Amino acid sequence: MPVFKTPFNGYSVKFSPFYENRLAVATSQNFGILGNGRLHVLDLSPDPSLPIAELAAYDTADGVYDVAWSESHDSIVIAAVADGSVKLYDLALPPTSNPIRSFQEHTREVHSADYNPVRRDSFLSSSWDDTVKLWTLDRPTSVRTFKEHAYCVYSAVWNPRHADVFASASGDCTVRVWDVREPGSTMILPAHEHEVLACDWNKYDECVIATASVDKSLKVWDVRNYRVPVSVLNGHGYAVRKVKFSPHVRNMMVSCSYDMTVCVWDFMVEDALVSRYDHHTEFAVGVDMSVLVEGLMASTGWDELVYVWQHGTDPRAP
Amino acid sequence: MAMRDLVSGAAACGDSSSSSANPLASLANALVGSSSKTQERLKEIPTSTLTDPTSQFYSTALPVNHLPGSEFDKPLLDANYQASEFLHRFRGASGLEETWDEIQREGGVAGQRQLVPAIQQPPLDGTPQRVLSSFLHSFLDSSRGGVPFHPTPLPMLGLSEGDKQCIRDRSSIMARHLFADKSEEFIDAQVNALLCSLDIDSNVRGKGPMPERFRELEDYWNESQGNMRPGPPAADGWITEFSQHRGKYDNPDSWANSFEQQHGANGWVSEFEHSQLSSVGQMQGMNVSNFAAMEQTRMLANTLAQNGDPKFQNSKFLQFVSKMSRGELIIDDNQVKENASGNWATEYDQQYNGGHAWSGEFLNDKVYHGPDQWVNEYTTEGRQHDAPDDQWVNEFSKLNVNDWADEFGQQLGEAALGDGTSDSWAHAYDEFLNEQVASKQQLDSSRGVYVFSDLNPYVGHPNPLKEGQDLFRKGLLSEAVLALEAEVLKNPENAEGWRLLGIAHAENDDDQQAIAAMMRAQEADPTNLEVLLALGVSHTNELEQSAALKYLYGWLRHHPKYGTLAPPEMSDSLYYADVARLFNDAAELSPDDADVHIVLGVMYNLSREYDKAIASFERALKLKPQDYSLWNKLGATQANSIQSADAIMAYQQALDLKPNYVRAWANMGISYANQGMYDESIRYYVRALAMNPKAENAWQYLRISLSCASRNDMLEACDRRNLDLLQKEFPLQ
Repeated sequence: MPVFKTPFNGYSVKFSPFYENRLAVATSQNFGILGNGRLHVLDLSPDPSLPIAELAAYDTADGVYDVAWSESHDSIVIAAVADGSVKLYDLALPPTSNPIRSFQEHTREVHSADYNPVRRDSFLSSSWDDTVKLWTLDRPTSVRTFKEHAYCVYSAVWNPRHADVFASASGDCTVRVWDVREPGSTMILPAHEHEVLACDWNKYDECVIATASVDKSLKVWDVRNYRVPVSVLNGHGYAVRKVKFSPHVRNMMVSCSYDMTVCVWDFMVEDALVSRYDHHTEFAVGVDMSVLVEGLMASTGWDELVYVWQHGTDPRAP
Repeated sequence: MAMRDLVSGAAACGDSSSSSANPLASLANALVGSSSKTQERLKEIPTSTLTDPTSQFYSTALPVNHLPGSEFDKPLLDANYQASEFLHRFRGASGLEETWDEIQREGGVAGQRQLVPAIQQPPLDGTPQRVLSSFLHSFLDSSRGGVPFHPTPLPMLGLSEGDKQCIRDRSSIMARHLFADKSEEFIDAQVNALLCSLDIDSNVRGKGPMPERFRELEDYWNESQGNMRPGPPAADGWITEFSQHRGKYDNPDSWANSFEQQHGANGWVSEFEHSQLSSVGQMQGMNVSNFAAMEQTRMLANTLAQNGDPKFQNSKFLQFVSKMSRGELIIDDNQVKENASGNWATEYDQQYNGGHAWSGEFLNDKVYHGPDQWVNEYTTEGRQHDAPDDQWVNEFSKLNVNDWADEFGQQLGEAALGDGTSDSWAHAYDEFLNEQVASKQQLDSSRGVYVFSDLNPYVGHPNPLKEGQDLFRKGLLSEAVLALEAEVLKNPENAEGWRLLGIAHAENDDDQQAIAAMMRAQEADPTNLEVLLALGVSHTNELEQSAALKYLYGWLRHHPKYGTLAPPEMSDSLYYADVARLFNDAAELSPDDADVHIVLGVMYNLSREYDKAIASFERALKLKPQDYSLWNKLGATQANSIQSADAIMAYQQALDLKPNYVRAWANMGISYANQGMYDESIRYYVRALAMNPKAENAWQYLRISLSCASRNDMLEACDRRNLDLLQKEFPLQ
């Protein structure tokens, strides 16, 4: 399957919700510690033997830690930038017009961005300034700031069903569930003993949430009964950086880790680890599953490579 | 003779906390297995040089090589400087009045100090981002191909405060992801080590988890108290909707039910407790000295080495972090480089990169303690010391003020009665001499025993010698030492491994280890000319004339060209004049042989004929202008002949050729100290120590310079080996 080499270290990869062959990749120079960033938009060739084409690339003054596709416009991507800005890019416009927006409110690195899949008019950014912010495309400032976490918020993700509900994962070892109509968080989930780096909602059960932690484990929770996890998934050798539920299979999820592997899990069975992909040679920090093509996965890592492959095949197979 | 020894003795005598009594340092020493080294620095008293009349020389001859191994010279501290320091301390020990005054004045005893204009560093082109970027990339490239770099000026980088903040914060946060199962101290030390190599002050921690948590917790408290306040101003359909919903919204979703329970006191309290506990850990972390940080980096490397996955061992990121935290990457004029000098590297290539076939077997035959144990011990230690002020206050308050006064009165009375004071003075001096003799005896028993580092990540490396040579060629001295140690553990009879190990130690300003390694090299290969010269130089350095003569004579005898000059029967009784004559003959025989001039220069150092020594080295330098160690020798000799200004020029040459040359950095400091420029000298010592915290001499010198510069406030930092603080206080700019 095709591979794309990025000049900087990969940080995140996301499939377009509109085009099955398109994906966006967030990258940062010097492992994101200091330097520039670049946002790549890539097109897969229909013929898997052909290389991945770069549709566009946008440079930023600081590393790009995450990227999210707009759910309303097929050409708009949102970049979470380490300098604290959230930038909007429109692929339909010439490079000189981009970015079309740059929201500068976070006081620290922005670590994640997520576009509302239900309302499709707003998106979230989470930052190391311990806050989550809610934005719309047309307002110059954020709509709301959610400030309860006591440490970096690594990820904030919308619930796939409830338009106003999202979850945030933080280094303060908790995951919080919020309703934007409420002033404070509606639930605090002390999910792990260590920092929680990512969370995601199950696409088929809006009460099920998965968390990924520095403690090397993934946990699956039912927010209706959050005292004990539904499942604890062990198998990664280092901190788990991202977790993502499958858009197609209820119990399937994928994770990537500082142990340089990408793992696919079935959280309802005893032997939860379905497959382990060992293709990266540095920390694997970005992973996604295509909504449009079942089983199509993409991953990126600090080895500056983007892999796209069909689940069950070898990502490195030519 | 041996004024340096006197000084180190004086320093240790005057203040018992200077080296061995520092628990942190001794712990660290114990852990890295170099505790004996601390004591060895307390050297012999002036008269007791040992001779070994039964020594004999060896028969077979070897082809000549260049002599890059001659690293061992360093200047002596200026005699007046030391003596005054010595007396100062002594007076302090016997005259309570002065001591008391000194405490009261808190370092206000400053004499007039000449202020030196700051040394101008070459300006840096381009943005820091570009610099760091090429830093990484050239590092990666060089690790692939072993590309030699061009000589670089001083490793100064104009990172802006913002950039430093970025590096500091981001690396802290990432380190926490990576080392979650390690202690907070470990992570802090890890990050500190990384930062210190980039001249970033790690004390200001922007995003340390716990202090931050306290603040946030407060906010959190306020916010949860104010939960009932209206939201932000509504100006938008969404917000209007939000406001409308507020009143009638009654838990349509099941997960919302948990809100109140979740806000119950228990969750809050436990979270708070957690924070508090963690913050205790954080406080301890603050005490971690940089010295320990370096060791912990090594531990990290070991931890990673234990990870069986070869991918992990090959991770460029981890190598990057590890090397950066050892301070062995240099940022220079738009490029980040490993410390190396091109010409020298090339020369080295020509000499050493041929003719060896290395076995590719992968042996992992050594078992280490787990790192956790270390961390635990460390934590315990840290706990004991985290409130030194309190301890001090407690102890002090135990003292009865009346006792104090009585004692003081007694002293005065004794003095009034006659020469009681001078008696005690003499008594103290006797004690001092006895201590010196005792430490000398101790020294002899441990002399020449090579002390291996614990936790060596290169053990099990398929080809540590090759790795060590590469690292050494690139100027990564501390790394090279580890690799070479792994090599000699594997092949104890490998003379080349031992020799290179000795050179690496010498360049890192660690003579004891250098001598120990060289002696092992000589055991393995008794006639190696480089080894003989190196041993000659190092013994000259230690002012052991007879031993030095033995080795220098051995060099001549085994030299294919000059061997005929040396009558074998002479080795029974070596006299300086005879040996010097032989070398002069050799120099006449081939005036274009730089090596002979080098040895001659060393010889003249031995006899304190510094002008002749300088002339010899200058002749050698005309023949070998790129020999950085030769520049260092010249500088050291000039410093010894009280030409400190010239010496600084020579050291600068050496550093231009080899930026990671710890010994030259330290020597530079000595030269400034000898000129009374203590502030400058401190900066250079700190720089040298940042590159090699194990350079024991430099710690002693630093301490003296701090006292002389009336920076008593930093003495504790020095005793605790807190390089972070020292680097912050004395940036080399």
